Amino acid sequence: MKVVGEATLHAPVARVWDALIDPAVLVRTIPGCQQLEAVDDDEYRMTVTAGVASIKGTYLGTVRLTDQQQPSSFVLRAAGSGAPGTVQADVLVTLADDGQGGTRLTYDADAVVGGAVGGVGQRMLAGVARKTAGEFFRAVDDVLGGHAAASVPGPVLPSASSAGADSSVAQLQPTVFTRPPGSPGAPGMRSLALAAAAGAAIALAGVALGALIGRRR
Amino acid sequence: MTTKMFGAPIRRTEDPRLLTGRGGYLDDLGRGALAAAFVRSPHAHARVTDIDVTGALDVEGLIAVYTYEDLPERLAEALPALIPHPALHHPRTGYALARDEVNHVGEPVVMVVARDRYLAEDAAERIVVSYEMLPPVVGIPAALAAEHLVHDDVPGNVAAHLVQEVGDARAAIAAAPYRLELNLAVERSASTPMEGRGVYARWDLADESLRLYTSTQTSTSVRAAVASRLGLSPTKVEVVAPDVGGGFGVKIMHPWPEEFLVPWAAGLLGQEVKWTEDRREHFISSAHERGQLQTVRVGFDDDGHLLGLDVEIWHDNGAYTPYGIIVPIITATQLLGPYKPGSYRVEFSSLYTNTVIVTPYRGAGRPQGCFAMERTMDRIADELGLDRTVVRERNLIRPEEMPYDHQMTFQDGRPLIYDSGDLPETLRKIKALVGWDDFAAIQAEAQAQGRKIGIGIACYVEGTGVGPYEGGHVQVETSGRVLVSTGLTSQGQGHQTAFAQIVADELGVPMSDVTVTTGDTRRFGYAVGTFASRAAVMSGNAVALAARNVRDKALKVAGEALEVDVGDLELVDGVVRVKGSPDVSIELRTVAVLANPLRYAFDDSAKRATQFAVGNTAGPPIPEDEEPGLEGRDFYSPTQSTFANGMHAVVVETDPETAEIKILRYCVVHDCGNLINPMIVEGQVHGGVAQGVAGALYERMVYDGSGQLLNASFMDFLMPYASEMPKIEIDHLETPSPLNPLGIKGAGEAGVIPGMAVFAAAIEDAEGFRITQMPISPSELFHLRQLFAAGELEPVDRRHT
Repeated sequence: MKVVGEATLHAPVARVWDALIDPAVLVRTIPGCQQLEAVDDDEYRMTVTAGVASIKGTYLGTVRLTDQQQPSSFVLRAAGSGAPGTVQADVLVTLADDGQGGTRLTYDADAVVGGAVGGVGQRMLAGVARKTAGEFFRAVDDVLGGHAAASVPGPVLPSASSAGADSSVAQLQPTVFTRPPGSPGAPGMRSLALAAAAGAAIALAGVALGALIGRRR
Repeated sequence: MTTKMFGAPIRRTEDPRLLTGRGGYLDDLGRGALAAAFVRSPHAHARVTDIDVTGALDVEGLIAVYTYEDLPERLAEALPALIPHPALHHPRTGYALARDEVNHVGEPVVMVVARDRYLAEDAAERIVVSYEMLPPVVGIPAALAAEHLVHDDVPGNVAAHLVQEVGDARAAIAAAPYRLELNLAVERSASTPMEGRGVYARWDLADESLRLYTSTQTSTSVRAAVASRLGLSPTKVEVVAPDVGGGFGVKIMHPWPEEFLVPWAAGLLGQEVKWTEDRREHFISSAHERGQLQTVRVGFDDDGHLLGLDVEIWHDNGAYTPYGIIVPIITATQLLGPYKPGSYRVEFSSLYTNTVIVTPYRGAGRPQGCFAMERTMDRIADELGLDRTVVRERNLIRPEEMPYDHQMTFQDGRPLIYDSGDLPETLRKIKALVGWDDFAAIQAEAQAQGRKIGIGIACYVEGTGVGPYEGGHVQVETSGRVLVSTGLTSQGQGHQTAFAQIVADELGVPMSDVTVTTGDTRRFGYAVGTFASRAAVMSGNAVALAARNVRDKALKVAGEALEVDVGDLELVDGVVRVKGSPDVSIELRTVAVLANPLRYAFDDSAKRATQFAVGNTAGPPIPEDEEPGLEGRDFYSPTQSTFANGMHAVVVETDPETAEIKILRYCVVHDCGNLINPMIVEGQVHGGVAQGVAGALYERMVYDGSGQLLNASFMDFLMPYASEMPKIEIDHLETPSPLNPLGIKGAGEAGVIPGMAVFAAAIEDAEGFRITQMPISPSELFHLRQLFAAGELEPVDRRHT
């Protein structure tokens, strides 16, 4: 399934870049993201609660940033799974100066969705994906524009939730980011999750997770 | 002694259940199932350019949204063309969900699944489909003009063209002393059963099997179609037709898009899914019938004998041809009715239009054919100044000419040979019943009082009981209960009663011991379906044959138990006994016990069949070539259809001011061979007459030029209520069919066939000018009166009145 779209962010390209690869920002802006854990320089593990009706659930996923051409593009490789199904997505994110001091971001995702989630129809998945990506970028834009809480909780120590990480990962001193209470997109905003992965990609991938579809009650 | 049940007017045993709200119809099932709803095309002809589902995503409880691109390989193929025919040179069918083009208002484009129907509808209405409009083709004249095409690759909008010719009709007409030409028109109508269509699917995911409930007239064929398209073995698919609230033909059409989509979605989502058609959907997304234009050219002699008949028919088949050209074939062949045409040429063109598909509706092309033939008979009579019944009488096939071979091919691909019938007697009876010969005086008297009354008569022959086959299974349980099953379905015809009567007689058991199951592939997997007035003929004979097998086996098993020759035994009142010595006997339920040799006793009756209780140890417990159990199965497969006939007469009064048409009397003489249950047959005739009245005076599909159906609701689509129905006077003739063991013929559709013809004749008789189009409303009649007064309509010259 292909999902393409674009967003305008009200900050220079360099700042957008930094935000999109900053786990502390991502955890607050990825719809439905409960926890984001850096397991390597460019790899994150995340937990997203998302879904709708019969297919809602908690999804675990990883997101890897590759092919980084700072500050103009990167590729997000996201994979996630949960009870309702699985998703894999490659998302190419490109950033460009929009000529007005902002950034024009485009994404081009190619997602494979399996399991029950895959059974809800392509247009619905794509619709959820686009919608989730939109929510994500709006949230990022809010952070960039200072509309959202400026103080982000600092990293917390590895918790029981990440105790399962294997030793090699553990040596990297995994850092866990959790969503500050009451922040935009907090629990209660059931959102497409897998978007989980890293920044934009995430949202995109999320798209895939569309199935997991989130939406406000 | 058991009273003979066959032929007795027994009250329908299913009615107490159905009339007290205990029926189980499709929408009574699957209360916890997810609900499907459809986004359907609002345009008659358009290209789908975009589908935006974003708006629907905010509907809480939405589960899934499907469009054409979601359909897997086999489901993405065009829907089946069910009945290929060499003359159907351009068959076209739609897709389960529109691929890129829609060809009628109501074609499904998007399927929505949600927690319940309300939410599914909410989501559906928020989905935005963008269309690029294409010019619609509406009505037969527009289809013929072919200024625009329904399908780009179907030249002239012609789906099929067929000519059948017996003798040189055109030459015979040219040489005939008298010649006439009639131009006739019949509008669209539709089955409109009280219960629309509906589909409910549930999977056993561990077993990878599907149970599908559908409100259908053919569960076995739906099973075959669904198994094929979903890539399942038919053994993994059970299809059950629950109680069905009327079909009248529309539910023999299958597989509907929903019959594929609902089980497919249920499998994908791993949950039960149900869809129940609403009334508007039934009007715009199911099927219609009837619409035809006809030209009849006829040549005849001084006495009114037909010398040649040359008929051309333009048939509106709607947007697609999934059910082939069955309807126009039936019109073309059954038009001949009870008459010998001298020579006959019939040609039809079946045309695409951007309207709902056309598939059989009770009568299935015969009402149009009867209209053409009977209008012609009346014209001939008037032309020669003869009584209308005299001309008919002179052209009737005589009893001694039966079986009568029309040398044509019928709708089943078999020869059009009438097997039996006493048509002159049918005519004599209808004339006597309605008092035909006394009517002129009554009419004159009414005229003197300023009243307009008229009488009409119409005759028909109906090919019933088409093949290829049906089967039956009969099993006697050790309780003595008799289970009967047949694969075809029931939609209110009283099969539970009629088939139980047949089996009760064959086995000599009370009807209350007999239970009948229909339309359930779990019980009987081989069947064709319920259509073409075939259930009684096909399954009636099949269950009779199956019961005879059971009877033979019962006598054999009892003979061994009683150590009596089988030839000395009889089966009476549920007991096998020695002829002349009724004390030496064994109950049928005990025979059922003995027919299944057992090792284990689980109750007292079973004890009698265990290994130390059964006496003869010389041979195997089950003789070679036999099976355990007291049950039998058989099939009935005829060489051709059996032909019922009938004649109707109606007396109408038309209001001189308002042109309202009132029915004063409605008489029916009907010959469907031996009657299994006269009360059921009369009920079938009543229902048929109601739809005949409807087709003549009320029902029509009002399309505007852009292909919008303007009367797609029961507020706007007229049909007769009980208050519009006349008392129906019925007389029967019973000319047995020589083609089947029970000597029966079908009765289901008969009542509707002569409706348009007989009303046209009676209104014409009351008004004194030609009626050439049906149906006719008071306002149309009023308009015709104005045309007549202006000299624009040909008067009816009826010197005999």
